[in-house]
Amino acid sequence: MTRILEGKTALVTGGRGGIGRAIVSRFLREGATVYAADLTPQGSLAAHDDDGSVFIKLDVTQEGDAIAAMDQVLADQGKLDILVNAAGIEIEKTIEDTTLEEWNKSFAVNCTGTFLTSKYALPLMRASAQSGNSASIINFGSYDGFIADPGLAAYCATKGAVHALTRAMACDHGPEGIRVNAICPGYIDTPMLQSFFNGDGSGGGGGDIESLQQAVRDVHPMRTYGTPDDIANLVNWLASDEARYASGQLWVLDGGLSAQVQQMKI
Amino acid sequence: MRLAVKKALVTGGRQGIGRGIVEAFLKEGATVATCGRGPQPDGLPEGVSWYSVDVADAAQVNELAQSLGAIDILVNNAGVQVEKTVVDSTDADWDLVIGANCRGVFNMCRAFIPKMTKGASIINIGSISGKVSDPSMALYNASKSFVHGLTRSIAVDHGPDIRCNAICPGWIETGMLEAGFELSNDPAAARKDALARHATGRFGQPADIAAMAVWLASDEAGFATGQLFTIDGGMTAASPINTGLF
Repeated sequence: MTRILEGKTALVTGGRGGIGRAIVSRFLREGATVYAADLTPQGSLAAHDDDGSVFIKLDVTQEGDAIAAMDQVLADQGKLDILVNAAGIEIEKTIEDTTLEEWNKSFAVNCTGTFLTSKYALPLMRASAQSGNSASIINFGSYDGFIADPGLAAYCATKGAVHALTRAMACDHGPEGIRVNAICPGYIDTPMLQSFFNGDGSGGGGGDIESLQQAVRDVHPMRTYGTPDDIANLVNWLASDEARYASGQLWVLDGGLSAQVQQMKI
Repeated sequence: MRLAVKKALVTGGRQGIGRGIVEAFLKEGATVATCGRGPQPDGLPEGVSWYSVDVADAAQVNELAQSLGAIDILVNNAGVQVEKTVVDSTDADWDLVIGANCRGVFNMCRAFIPKMTKGASIINIGSISGKVSDPSMALYNASKSFVHGLTRSIAVDHGPDIRCNAICPGWIETGMLEAGFELSNDPAAARKDALARHATGRFGQPADIAAMAVWLASDEAGFATGQLFTIDGGMTAASPINTGLF
């Protein structure tokens, strides 16, 4: 079987977190050289398995970190073919309860992070495109950028901003041979979702976590929430040359959740 | 009066949303005609002309266009719903739903567009169900997506003389909604659950839809065309996962 990312170089922010780690591991299996950029080698998970990726310490909110990360990739590889902006945080509050600091941090990680990493990746990606490759940036939006979950105001707003930024970047850099898309996940089994189930934002109605999880599964037409691998499958395709005509789009991957109207208990 | 000297035709004005639009148009000074299958209903407001017409029947629609002549406002409101999945839907269900909701809107637009005045407004009643799916309403959901697509086509093909928009209602308090709750094991609990999913804390009234129809029919909406306007009390702005209700 051909490995569809053979010879490509990829950098994944949040690359040691829930979804990021699945993407890194898939890229490696498809033959890419992969840089996993994160705050720590463990990311948001408890431990780190040595997966064969190159770890880069990156705080996406720091311009200096973004410059240093791209300098390293440039020195090692001379180009970057794939950038995945998967680093993200979620504050589970309404706007009234959200502090200015929390609001700014949400935007710093989810929006400014996507901006900074992409900004300094562009020269390396242009180098890739100029040598005839299909350079691809994949941002992380969310189905919450289209419809709202209660108690996630800043998160919903940052994801809506990422959607608009994705279209703007696709428009500006398409002529240079760089494709830009966003994946919009629904409920995916990650540390972020587990935190949501445990947190105040989960409502809960007095039930235990397992009954809450089952209730959430039952609202999905697919009767389950997704796994990080489900997301990695589409990221992999968007990163590959098969997706050479796909740009400027928001790809919702949510088990049909947002295809349906509210499920009244009739 | 925002619709003074305008002549309007509203299909399906016997009850529910259609009746609400008929009444609102009258209040704004329009001359109003409405139609439906069967004889004139009791209690139709004075001054409203009734035509017994099945919009699914092209010959009847063409005859209506002959007798009415030029109009300024056309509201394609008449519609039916069948609560079934694709597998359970019969050919007769297809003919009924697609006949009224799709062919009916097509018949009306084809017959009346050539007779509409410059600056005229067509308002189609789409649905939130044409954007996101209600379970076991397969043909209805699809028929409303058709209405949304046709709305854009008419706006593109027949501008600048004619504007065409769709209103997408959510849950509106009509006989149809009450009947739905009555089928539930616990109608009071069902109503409470449904209400909790509306940011406005209430269901819509026919007057809520009629208010948007008046605006779209009026000259104030002179730059609005080809759009789908959702009026659903915020329901589809929220995720279907409402953990507060689990």
